[in-house]
Amino acid sequence: MNRNDLLKADEGSRRAFIRNAARVCLGVQVMPFFGSLSAAAEAAIRADAKAKHVIYLFMNGGMSHLDTFDPKPKKKDVMGPMEAIPTKADGILVGLHLPKTAQVMDKVCVINSMNSTQGAHEQGSYVMHTSYAMRGTIKHPALGAWIMKLGGRLNPDIPGFVAIDTASDQSGGGFFGAKYAAAPIGSATEGLQDSKRPAQVEGADFDRRLALADRLNRKFHERYPNAEVKSYEELYQEAIRLMNSKDLVAFDIRKESDATKQLYGTGRFAQGCLLARRLVEHGVRFVEVQLGGWDTHYDNFAAVQGRCNEFDQAYAALITDLAARGKLNETLVVVATEFGRTPVINTEHKNGRDHHPSAFSCLLAGGGVKGGYKHGETDASGARVRDKLVTVQDFNATIGHALGLPWNETVMSPSERPFKLADKGVPVADVFA
Amino acid sequence: MKPASRLLVWCCLLLASGPAHAQERKTPKDDPAFQREAALAIDRYVAGWYRKEKLPVPANADDATFLRRTFLVVAGRIPTAEEARAFLEIDEPKKREMLVDYLLASPGYSSHLANWTFDLLRLTDGRTGTSASNEPYRAWVRGAIDRNLPWDQLVRSLLASEGDGWDPQTAAVGYYTRDRGMPLDNLANSMRVFLASRMECAQCHDDPFGKTERHDFYQLAAFTHGQGTVRQNLMQPLWDELGKSNERGRSPDYAAAQILWDRVYGMSLSGGGRGRIELPQDYQYRDGHPGDLVAAHTPFGKTVRMSERKDENDGRAQFAEWVVAKTGPQFPAAIANRMWKRVMGKGISEPVDEYVPPEKSPQPELASQLAKLMVDLEYDLKSFQRVLLLTRTYGFATNPDPSIVAGGDDLHGRKIERLSAEQVWDSLVTLADGDPDQKPRRTLDDRIFLGGKPVLVGRKTMSQLSKEVLALKSESEVRAYFTDFAAQLKRDGGGSGGDTMMMASTVRYDKDARVRASELPSPAPRDHLLYLFGQSDREVVNASSRDPNVSQVLALMNGFVQRQLVNNPQAHVYRSLEDASGREEKIRRVYLAILSRPPSDEEMGWMLEELDASGDKGYANIVSALVMSSEFLFLQ
Repeated sequence: MNRNDLLKADEGSRRAFIRNAARVCLGVQVMPFFGSLSAAAEAAIRADAKAKHVIYLFMNGGMSHLDTFDPKPKKKDVMGPMEAIPTKADGILVGLHLPKTAQVMDKVCVINSMNSTQGAHEQGSYVMHTSYAMRGTIKHPALGAWIMKLGGRLNPDIPGFVAIDTASDQSGGGFFGAKYAAAPIGSATEGLQDSKRPAQVEGADFDRRLALADRLNRKFHERYPNAEVKSYEELYQEAIRLMNSKDLVAFDIRKESDATKQLYGTGRFAQGCLLARRLVEHGVRFVEVQLGGWDTHYDNFAAVQGRCNEFDQAYAALITDLAARGKLNETLVVVATEFGRTPVINTEHKNGRDHHPSAFSCLLAGGGVKGGYKHGETDASGARVRDKLVTVQDFNATIGHALGLPWNETVMSPSERPFKLADKGVPVADVFA
Repeated sequence: MKPASRLLVWCCLLLASGPAHAQERKTPKDDPAFQREAALAIDRYVAGWYRKEKLPVPANADDATFLRRTFLVVAGRIPTAEEARAFLEIDEPKKREMLVDYLLASPGYSSHLANWTFDLLRLTDGRTGTSASNEPYRAWVRGAIDRNLPWDQLVRSLLASEGDGWDPQTAAVGYYTRDRGMPLDNLANSMRVFLASRMECAQCHDDPFGKTERHDFYQLAAFTHGQGTVRQNLMQPLWDELGKSNERGRSPDYAAAQILWDRVYGMSLSGGGRGRIELPQDYQYRDGHPGDLVAAHTPFGKTVRMSERKDENDGRAQFAEWVVAKTGPQFPAAIANRMWKRVMGKGISEPVDEYVPPEKSPQPELASQLAKLMVDLEYDLKSFQRVLLLTRTYGFATNPDPSIVAGGDDLHGRKIERLSAEQVWDSLVTLADGDPDQKPRRTLDDRIFLGGKPVLVGRKTMSQLSKEVLALKSESEVRAYFTDFAAQLKRDGGGSGGDTMMMASTVRYDKDARVRASELPSPAPRDHLLYLFGQSDREVVNASSRDPNVSQVLALMNGFVQRQLVNNPQAHVYRSLEDASGREEKIRRVYLAILSRPPSDEEMGWMLEELDASGDKGYANIVSALVMSSEFLFLQ
């Protein structure tokens, strides 16, 4: 059964497959637990959906829409020294420092009419990642966790949700628990650290240690029947499955050809994008990669240029590479950020731009989305959304819809409160081909 | 002397040091009798609450749980096997109080409170996009914690300092310069961390749920408005010229100028707070127009206002005075609630970032009692925590799970919680090397760096350079100084090495060092164990995470823990077995070292089986299994 068959299969046989695959791949015999793994996939996947994976590139700090994907070349006071350049898509301009991205814009859908109600970083990133406003009383699951919950894993051996270079409070499983949290990767070049048994430890000793720890854990868990304690027990199972997986190689970008490495470039973000592509090829559902430093209050134009230099080649390479491998159609590549930046240039802070949640831009590419297409627009200075406003929740619903997931399904938290992947958002149908 | 009695002697010395000053009249913060009474008052309140709720009072934690909990809460690490034995084996009725005092006086207290403070203040070593750093500021904050600077004084220094970023007297300016270019975010964070007032929404719009309006926020921002650098404008023409010549090709002078521009001027702070600010271009309400000047005016508490007609220069000092002294119980209650959470595991009211007046708190009398205690103790955080640590409430047995305990987890013993990233790391370092506070402390690196290499070592420090440059009064003085400075750098060539005494006095640790988390780069890089376990990136307030993930488990099974601990015969945990006679004693010591308790009979049986099967290799298997156990990762 290959992965395509798996997606088409009904839920029952999908689960049976996952169970069997896990059994076969698990070389080590230790604690029993499989029930919880396959429970991940709880709803049917819409048959006509094209996307199976998401690569979610998050521009941390608030990417200036004006200097990247919503330039206003006629308004010199808004643009300052920034210029716009034409792209491969008619009628779509991008900022001067995105020349390589310009060459792939025929494959990209730009949403210029994003709108958020949250203008501070923490709250802004939180709502982008979870669809809900921050509350002191509950932790909402991240988008990747929702997609695992609703869609399940494609490859049962390796984590379905991986977060590369991502702030640790933005990739949690929230009230779904640790089972749905991302496996964090701090450095893409290092890949998944410590995934091999240390050379000096023999297999037999390794198993003895786990068996011993398991005995201790059972006692402890009897005394403290607490969900978090339980999570760690389950994670040991997960880790062992992973260690025995032939797909561990997915985490090793050193296996890539020189030509591919050159295509992406050498920056940290570039390495993250390359790893994301490898992971997707091995069946990881949701990969987030972050690029920080977009909080350009101070000296915006120099800072944006620096960020674009990190972003441009890597993003263009990712799109080109996925397309060349025939994977772009089934991979939705998202570029998101927590808000845009003000059209007013703050001269007091060496030409800085401040937070601007009322209008900003995000990108979608692949996964059945129209390329070379622009959805929504802002007014002449990029201050307000003029047409086809897209809320953060609509945006997340669109991602869910692209994957064919029941974005509108209500899931109850352990505290018996109802939640949805995109809260009250609705997918933007217009962006799909 | 046996290690067991060493700890006790330590404790006795500590207690004995009290009466030496007994002749003078003691203030509450130095008066053990006052503090014991305050602890009793808290316990009386809690006992009354249990009576009122008709709930059974929790049992007391056993000695082993109390020991491990107190080490982790106060000193941020587990005890060594020797410390655990000393405490558990001695029959001394006052040993819990002695332990509390031993730990509060230990360097571990400062280390662990530093982690907490760095998370709260978002204290990173570096800044993005500039070679300016926060290291002198970090050193200032750490020094303030070391000398137990009262919280109100610390907050005043952070909010009102002005001047040289390298001068130890004024390095607290890092609190503002850390956020250069985003003074409004900085202000919103100040309100949050010091007063538990959330105003970040009002930066952009009226808060639809609260009372705060955007206008209020700008009136507050007027106090701190007008921040700049100390006379950086004098260097502007020179900097522009060098920038242009640098574009044509790398200019060594440019690199030299960058030291002055970024690391001297860029780290200085001028502008005491103008008291007036313009409303922003997107101001959308009827009570003002974009560009209108708004005068400083406080939104609650005792009103403080500044002139509408002219700029002044002491707005930040007035703001600091208002925060600390004119907001009624809010300032003491906010920090009391944070400290209660730190010691007890959960705030009296949650979240601790959202102030509720004592009378609206879930425990009204207790909340006002604690706010008053904070004032009585003159904001001495160590004494305040000491009072809480002496309560019976702190020593309650662990709450197994709030969902199965009647009354939830309010006042019900610490709820079981995974160790913070820093507690995990510091505990692993303790197992590998013993008491981590025996290692030398990191020092502020005061050397001048050019192209990554220290220069003028032994001849000039950053503090001296900064002092000299900031004293220059005209553009021509700056030019002359720079010409001379650049010539000195050329003569030095960057590789002189210089005075070895000065080199030796700088202690720095890279990310691979086995030292306290508080001594490592802040935040630790993302390939570090601290990141995997959820250390805050220190970009937003309290952004740490205790969520489990698979990479943590891999690090425990295969990574750092195996390399530095399990498979390292020199690890402290093995060395402490050397003088133990017999297998059972060795197993007992391994248990004490890792879980701070002796094994149960059943566990002893399992471990002996393991040694029967694996021989001496079995000890490594036991150490590995205990570190992988949930009991190691959780605070009870």
